Amino acid sequence: MGISDDKKNDGNNINIDEEIRELVMARLKILDRNTIISIGSDGKFSPDELITHVEKGDDIGEKISEIQMEWLRAFKEGIIK
Amino acid sequence: MKLIVTRPEHDITTRFISRWSELYFDMARKKSIEICDLKGNKATKKELIGRLKKLNPELVILNGHGGDDCIAGHENEVLIRSGENENVLKSRVTYAISCNSAKVLGNKFKDCDKTAYIGYSDKFIFTLNFNNSTRPLKDERAKPFMESSNHVIESLLKGHTAKEASDRSKSTFKKNFIKLLSSNSDPDAIQDAQFLWWDMRHQVCIGNGDKKL
Repeated sequence: MGISDDKKNDGNNINIDEEIRELVMARLKILDRNTIISIGSDGKFSPDELITHVEKGDDIGEKISEIQMEWLRAFKEGIIK
Repeated sequence: MKLIVTRPEHDITTRFISRWSELYFDMARKKSIEICDLKGNKATKKELIGRLKKLNPELVILNGHGGDDCIAGHENEVLIRSGENENVLKSRVTYAISCNSAKVLGNKFKDCDKTAYIGYSDKFIFTLNFNNSTRPLKDERAKPFMESSNHVIESLLKGHTAKEASDRSKSTFKKNFIKLLSSNSDPDAIQDAQFLWWDMRHQVCIGNGDKKL
């Protein structure tokens, strides 16, 4: 793979990451406002608090995005039907 | 037969898991299993280590926050840490309802033929309804998570092996997330299904999967 291909792939990954983040935030926005999400020792979060973490791209936001990505991958691979 | 359970209750996460733990107490008592319940501020390192030595229980259930190499108790005091005191879990079946602890701590038992460790290799995530903060057992959002997790213990108490108990718990996680996915298009249900699937995916049984109580 050449340098130009690497750059092309990096660009694609950035777009995918951004799209995943947007999808995660869109899903969090429509959750019941009384929802609390417990993420172990990281604490408990309202949907709005999680949206802030996803926007910032910190560890908590990245974890939520990772879950979304793995979920979509599992669907694509037919693991979840 | 004896079991020890740690049940810290210093925040909403530990309080929910603690209260839902009470559901298998009756089952254990009916089977004449002696329960040592280290609840709230009794979930300390001193209490746990002392009781493990004194009672020598076959089953250890650790509720609490965790990290890759440790499990904590009341106010996040570390109870068991890899490389420090994990030997106290040897020759027992342990179920750790905490984040990440299977990654390093649990993995210490991978070659132990007398020990089984069931836990989670990543975050244990669940949802709940804020309106039920003080009534965990009434919370329908938390129910599928807690029910699926408790299935490990119920299966062990019924005489299943550690691996079977984990597999049965995973089947319950799966049944619950499929039910949520298929029942409606409610965004809360879809989000909860996603977290149930995540928890199921990261529950592991390490060590001797054939070990039973």
